[in-house]
Amino acid sequence: MSNLDDIGNLMHLPMDEIHPGEGTDASNYIITATAKTLSNLGGRNWVPLIVKEVGEDEYEVIGNSLIYAVAEAAGLEKVWCIIADASQNTIELTKILSGEVIPKINLSTATRDEIKSALEYLIEKPLSSLKGVNLSVATIRIFEAPRESWKTLGEITKLKCGISKGKKLDALKEVFYLTPNTNLKESNTKKATSKETIQISTQKISEEPTQETIEKMTQESTLEIQITENLKNMTSKELKALARKKGLSGYSKKKKSELVAMLSK
Amino acid sequence: MNTQTLTRVKQHWLDLPDGASEAQVNDMFIVSSVLDELGFSLKERIPHYKTDTGGNAVDYALRRNQGGNEFVLNGSNPHVLLELKGRDINLTKGSAQYKSTVKQLKRYLLAPNCQTVQWGIITNSDHIQLFRKHGKVIFPATDCLQITEDNLEDIIRDFKSRIENTPTALKVAIYNNKGGVGKTTTTVNLAAILALKGKKVLVVDFDPSQQDLTKSLDIKPSEKDFYSCLVNKNSELKDIIHPYAINYKKLNKRFTFDVIPADKKLADCGDDELRQEIKLYRLNKLLKTLEYNYDYILIDSPPNWRFFSQSAMYASDVVLIPAKHNNIYSLENAAIAIQKFLPQIQENKKGCTPIALPIFFNGENKISDAHKITMTSAIDDLIKKFTKNEKFDLTPYFYPLSTKGSKNKEIFHLPGYASISNAAFAYIPAVFKDKIARTYYLNLAMEYFLQ
Repeated sequence: MSNLDDIGNLMHLPMDEIHPGEGTDASNYIITATAKTLSNLGGRNWVPLIVKEVGEDEYEVIGNSLIYAVAEAAGLEKVWCIIADASQNTIELTKILSGEVIPKINLSTATRDEIKSALEYLIEKPLSSLKGVNLSVATIRIFEAPRESWKTLGEITKLKCGISKGKKLDALKEVFYLTPNTNLKESNTKKATSKETIQISTQKISEEPTQETIEKMTQESTLEIQITENLKNMTSKELKALARKKGLSGYSKKKKSELVAMLSK
Repeated sequence: MNTQTLTRVKQHWLDLPDGASEAQVNDMFIVSSVLDELGFSLKERIPHYKTDTGGNAVDYALRRNQGGNEFVLNGSNPHVLLELKGRDINLTKGSAQYKSTVKQLKRYLLAPNCQTVQWGIITNSDHIQLFRKHGKVIFPATDCLQITEDNLEDIIRDFKSRIENTPTALKVAIYNNKGGVGKTTTTVNLAAILALKGKKVLVVDFDPSQQDLTKSLDIKPSEKDFYSCLVNKNSELKDIIHPYAINYKKLNKRFTFDVIPADKKLADCGDDELRQEIKLYRLNKLLKTLEYNYDYILIDSPPNWRFFSQSAMYASDVVLIPAKHNNIYSLENAAIAIQKFLPQIQENKKGCTPIALPIFFNGENKISDAHKITMTSAIDDLIKKFTKNEKFDLTPYFYPLSTKGSKNKEIFHLPGYASISNAAFAYIPAVFKDKIARTYYLNLAMEYFLQ
């Protein structure tokens, strides 16, 4: 970029050279009361408008659009602006930085912490349609789901975490997006990496249960559990009975300690 | 070790000008000798290693090459990160620049491309410090050491040997000197969820007067096994480990964790008697022999500040502190433990662990808005009081998400749930029985430990 253009500069521009762009959706109260405060407290907008140059002496608002409406209401003829470049990235970033657009995260790859904070944000919002959703449950169900292959966010409604089609799902669309294709690739490399870790690490790393098993487990409503706690407290006879029950072989001549070792595997 | 090369490090260090810039420190000291001495050849280092998809890069990522897997070529699975500063940056412990450098290192350690990293180093050639990363937990492995001509070689040798012999286990004490905050329930269920996630876990019941943990798993407390282990220098913990196993019939899968049960004899001894027989560091020494056998060692400790809890703190890397949102004493006690007790142990240990993890609220189904407001103002007062009277900042331990620029006051909350408290009657950790309990504890495990 040459130093002849005005990008990055703070400029005092006439209101009639600025197009308001999309305009603000702030309430009339906020606009008029802010305008009054602006007039009472010196009349200079210390928080600038963010504009892009669209032609000769022609600008368009891309961020802080409240300031434009306020300047209008206060009857300012000139307003302080920062000139940004006109690229799509800059426009998007500016809208997010000025708090006019909510940033989104990629649900295909998001970490548990990211999912949790996004859901928390949505649930805590005033008048949230997600009030009553259990944050802990929803976070884990979504985190553990096979998100990398999801094509639509609608899959969330199948997770039985209190998020149904309609308003609730729409609320999630505010913060999440998916990139199914690139992601499959990413998750593969991820898997390969963790495999490699095990190879290069001299430490003993125990086998991680697969996503699938955990999934299965969470899906089961009543899990049949049989405890074999206190192997050490059991008699050799009981241990052998257990070994038989488990279909193990070669237990009959083993000592108690060996049986415990065998059954703990 | 080759003394000639060691002299080279020393020579390079002595050659550094007083105000050496980062580039000079890098050129004259780090590249030319320190990285060699730490055991990383030219093909085992990557400068300006990208830690994420954005523009963030750490000064060095290091990993030993094994087989045909050359780090310099594929850059995968870094093992050590090094963040370098010039001598114009003051890295004396406690200085503003030290704090921001540590923050920077932590950010890199937790970045997406650095999941495999186990160690982090910061240095400006005047000071140097080694950090350990285990999953999500980062804690100092050494103090922030001032480098001198005499200790330089020892420090590097020590770092090298630690990096080459990384223990697998993170040792966690579960503690609050207020009772009834759910320490035992937390310990048991945390062990269970970590086991479900494929981790090797050892649980130590170090609360002999209650023995709740042991009983909750329907294990018979031993008569004096643990006692003899602590008293008798020749005995080993291995012999008194009790496997606890659970079978999921439908999955044909089995999950286990190990338990060192509470001991009746220990409960009968008074504090004075124990101190005459057993040194404070004894448990630590015993557990050190197991640090390569497990991924997590969880120590359940009693609610007081006497022999057992002190030994448990001494033996741990980090302390997890459950509290009750509606019980101000549990918060005050947590604050005292963090500000007073832990530093005492660190001093006694001549080290910088254990460190406290941020507190969390245990139990209660939902914290009402009114409760939240009372609680937040109580914590704010507590923080103010400690800042004023003790010159100690509690903020990171109570509001971990709060930063200079953000007033975020979220505290992790583990919701209460009938089947969690009822599980004790069935002698099975709730996590193994109930899927809601499982999600709650998985959240806890991921909030603090799992990356």
